[in-house]
Amino acid sequence: VRCQQYPPLRALQASAALRAASDEHKKEPWASSSQQHFDSPPAGHQPEEKPQGPHPSYTGQGGQQSEDYESEEQLQHRILTAALEFVPEHGWTAEAIAEGAKTLGLSVAAAGLFHSDGSELILHFVSDCNTKLSELLKKEQKLVQLGKAEKKPIDEFLRDAVEARLRMLIPYIEKWPQALSVLLLPRNIPSSLSLLTSMIDDIWHYAGDQSTDFNWYTRRAVLTAIYNTTELVMMQDSSPGFEDTWRFLENRVADAMAMSNTATQVQSTGEAVVQGLMGAAVTVSNAGTCRAVR
Amino acid sequence: VYQVFENVARKYDVMNDSMTLGIHRVWKDILVHKMNPCPGTLLLDVAGGTGDIAFRFINYVRSVRQRQLQRKLKHDQNLSWQEIFESYQNDKFNNSLGDSQVVVCDINREMLKVGKQKAQHLGYSEGLSWVLGNAEELPFDDDKFDVYTIAFGIRNVTRIDLALQEAYRVLKPGGRFLCLEFSHVSNPLLSRLYDLYSFQVIPVLGEVIAGDWRSYQYLVESIRQFPPQEELKAMIEDAGFFRVDYENLNFGIVAIHSGFKL
Repeated sequence: VRCQQYPPLRALQASAALRAASDEHKKEPWASSSQQHFDSPPAGHQPEEKPQGPHPSYTGQGGQQSEDYESEEQLQHRILTAALEFVPEHGWTAEAIAEGAKTLGLSVAAAGLFHSDGSELILHFVSDCNTKLSELLKKEQKLVQLGKAEKKPIDEFLRDAVEARLRMLIPYIEKWPQALSVLLLPRNIPSSLSLLTSMIDDIWHYAGDQSTDFNWYTRRAVLTAIYNTTELVMMQDSSPGFEDTWRFLENRVADAMAMSNTATQVQSTGEAVVQGLMGAAVTVSNAGTCRAVR
Repeated sequence: VYQVFENVARKYDVMNDSMTLGIHRVWKDILVHKMNPCPGTLLLDVAGGTGDIAFRFINYVRSVRQRQLQRKLKHDQNLSWQEIFESYQNDKFNNSLGDSQVVVCDINREMLKVGKQKAQHLGYSEGLSWVLGNAEELPFDDDKFDVYTIAFGIRNVTRIDLALQEAYRVLKPGGRFLCLEFSHVSNPLLSRLYDLYSFQVIPVLGEVIAGDWRSYQYLVESIRQFPPQEELKAMIEDAGFFRVDYENLNFGIVAIHSGFKL
């Protein structure tokens, strides 16, 4: 008989009651694992002992406590997801999180669960986008495997993947520079860096084993450079439909391909750095034109 | 307890300043900063007699609201006349607090009186209510407040567990419990200095300033009797709060405990 000591697995009674009241009938598959830990609830700590059902679904007795327990983490996840819709108005701040909590029926004070600079919200969003990108790429790969689609040449593949990922920023583009600066805070760098590298690795994974003469580290560095510089260009871009950004992206990817076709192998990441510098130069000149236009 | 505070009410603020050398203001500022309230928050300040936390809360919310309105103004520069007209109708235009409110609850009428006078004197008029009540049995409905604070009050409560349960009851789901209180100093050197100061200096100050050393002797002893940080944390968890955490200020002379009703 296991007695779970960690608070996160205790029933979140208030939120469970809230969700019962708002008629959520979704079967939560993860609840079944937390259910196991409740075989012996911590002695005397639960003032209301809820009957342990064999399955986690909502009992359907209107207003009764639902039996699917939720961990703190899952609640936080829900709050952050709800908060995203308020970001265009409030920015990546505790205020947006407070508004998000309000839509879930929680008090605005629940924003105190997170840092006041909105770090968790931004990291949550980035991780969400990366997941969406993975799913998109997986779907495309399936279509290719089933023979329903042509396998794209590597440069087109990379271009489309980066474009798809960057397009997810469009609804939040006004406040995205703020988010980038928060991601660069020393406290957040480990998480933001790992999210970035795993996304890049993902793209290369789905790009398949088309020979490019790059070794693994170089590939990673090159695509990271392409992605980061395109992102920066996008911040400054005021062309309709972000055409300038996509054209920039096309050029950078073409450069990367050209690099691999030269006789000399790319040995160091120095080339990638040069690419990055080039991209930065374009960004600066774009910034110059933007300012002139304004 | 009631009589201690009857004597102490009028000189409360002065004594606080002299005992803690004015640092108590900083502690209270840190508490409100940690709360980080946004406009529209409903705060219950228990044992908040003279209103220190309440006033700080109002100031904080007012400045956040200012920033919000400024941002809105900047954003609204390019609206059509129709949209501007609509915003006049929808906006709580004159609401400098954005609907935030504080209810100050205290068991002692004298403390509330002093608090009301202070509020008038300092010019706080809107968003404040003063209620007589016992922390162990609050005169409020369930699920009402966004934040519950008790600053330097919980050690005077006879049954702390009851007060915590009441706090849990009146908080909305997602609401936050914040407790600012004297706590245990772990550093042995500092602890000795602190003891020296508490037992030698404070009652003397009490006699000189408020003419009442007995009350301050009681105060110092009650601080020593109060459960240390971890124990209080366990008690708060027992009442049903999640994410219970504490932050030591000044090496443990004072600690802020925080918990959420989830």
